[in-house]
Amino acid sequence: MSIPIYDLVIIGAGPAGSTTARVAANLGLRVLVVDKRQELGAPIQCSGAVSRHALEATGVPIDDEYIHEAIYGFGIYDTHGQKTTIDYRKVKPDEYGEEEGKKPLGYVVDRRRFDRFLLTQAERAGVETMLKTEGLGYSPNGGDYCHVHLKRFNQTMEVKAKVLVGADGLQSQVGKWAGLRTHIKLSELASCLQFVVDRVETEGLLEIITGHKWAPGGYAWVFPKGHGYAEVGLGVIRTMTDKNAQWYLDQFLQESFLKDRFADARILEIQGGGVPLAAPLRKQYAQNLILVGDAARHVNPITGGGIHTALSGGLIAARYLAKVIQEGHQPNQEVLAGYQDLWLEKLGRKMWKLYDEKTAIFQGQDIPIRDQQLYETMSSYFHPESEYKKI
Amino acid sequence: MGKREPVLFQIGWNACIQCGACIAICPQKESFVSAFDTIAVDRPCDIACMKCEDICPVTTITHIPVPSAVTPSANLFVGQ
Repeated sequence: MSIPIYDLVIIGAGPAGSTTARVAANLGLRVLVVDKRQELGAPIQCSGAVSRHALEATGVPIDDEYIHEAIYGFGIYDTHGQKTTIDYRKVKPDEYGEEEGKKPLGYVVDRRRFDRFLLTQAERAGVETMLKTEGLGYSPNGGDYCHVHLKRFNQTMEVKAKVLVGADGLQSQVGKWAGLRTHIKLSELASCLQFVVDRVETEGLLEIITGHKWAPGGYAWVFPKGHGYAEVGLGVIRTMTDKNAQWYLDQFLQESFLKDRFADARILEIQGGGVPLAAPLRKQYAQNLILVGDAARHVNPITGGGIHTALSGGLIAARYLAKVIQEGHQPNQEVLAGYQDLWLEKLGRKMWKLYDEKTAIFQGQDIPIRDQQLYETMSSYFHPESEYKKI
Repeated sequence: MGKREPVLFQIGWNACIQCGACIAICPQKESFVSAFDTIAVDRPCDIACMKCEDICPVTTITHIPVPSAVTPSANLFVGQ
């Protein structure tokens, strides 16, 4: 039996993998997406906030199918409860609002439906997919193709790809196959936990609570989730405390200045994840291989937001790969380094700058000063004039 | 500090939220993972740095010493 041949084989059907797939297929590449799960988006490891701009810029149709609730701005709290509100319904009332002809700033999406939606869009563009299919390894032979070893149910199989795209998340195995330095430091991985709750009021804003007391190294959040639900969660850096995320989330619900709002809360679901508050991976490519999304640490190191960066990174990767493959270049290290250069130019340099800002804040030893700096940085980050607005 | 003794990790499967933080933090060179996106539980970890236990947001990773049948070298310490 002859081995199936693809331009791209993508491992991981999250936002980064499915976007890379859709855009590449639309540009004429033959693409296979595999994912070991049978349902996408689950287990949920993310609060699901994404800007409308991010969706529009990457060609994702806005659709009620995956939207939990529309977002119109931010509320940022300091450690004592002082609040900066940036409500775009008030800042730019002609453009943003619930009324006809006005738009939301962003959305909280249902990751199960959102990830399914993105893969369906890719499939409609001609992408082949195999779920319940695990990647086992890859063998580059120094030429135009690499062999990708897969396992579907109990059957092992092999396909050939010009480029293997690792979109397999923070715990990327694809990166490990290629010997890329994907290992992350304990001091740069936020351990996140969130409750989906009923009976907590929200008002169309993403609320962010800063302060070492509430979430050392990270922040706490209250996001609207639609249907009267909310997400209450936080991320902590374990090297900055001897207590874990669970302890902090209980403290936040019971003792914070928002405790009265949480008094009636009923916990419906518990979700969690590891979020890299780290620099982008220094090397995101190898022979016949690149990484996208969380696998390449395309995550905003200040907010921990990763959907926008996954979608944008996928778009950049797909366009670049389509170009080099269609021009007949061999996808070796020199050629694929161009993907990283392009990504750095369009997105990565700003992410490095954010990382440096974050690092500077948390290097400080004085907790009140650090708290104040983080609060100011977060407040200015979401300001309408921020240079980072579109990350 | 001397070299740590190898350990065998155990996961509370009902408490685990499959967040992947333990794998992300794991310094093992070869993929040290279980079929459920956690660190491996079917073979000893000879690094025993315990970073996975620290990062777990629901505190559900624990460890036991490696049973002597798994590492023959551990027999040296048995019966003395």
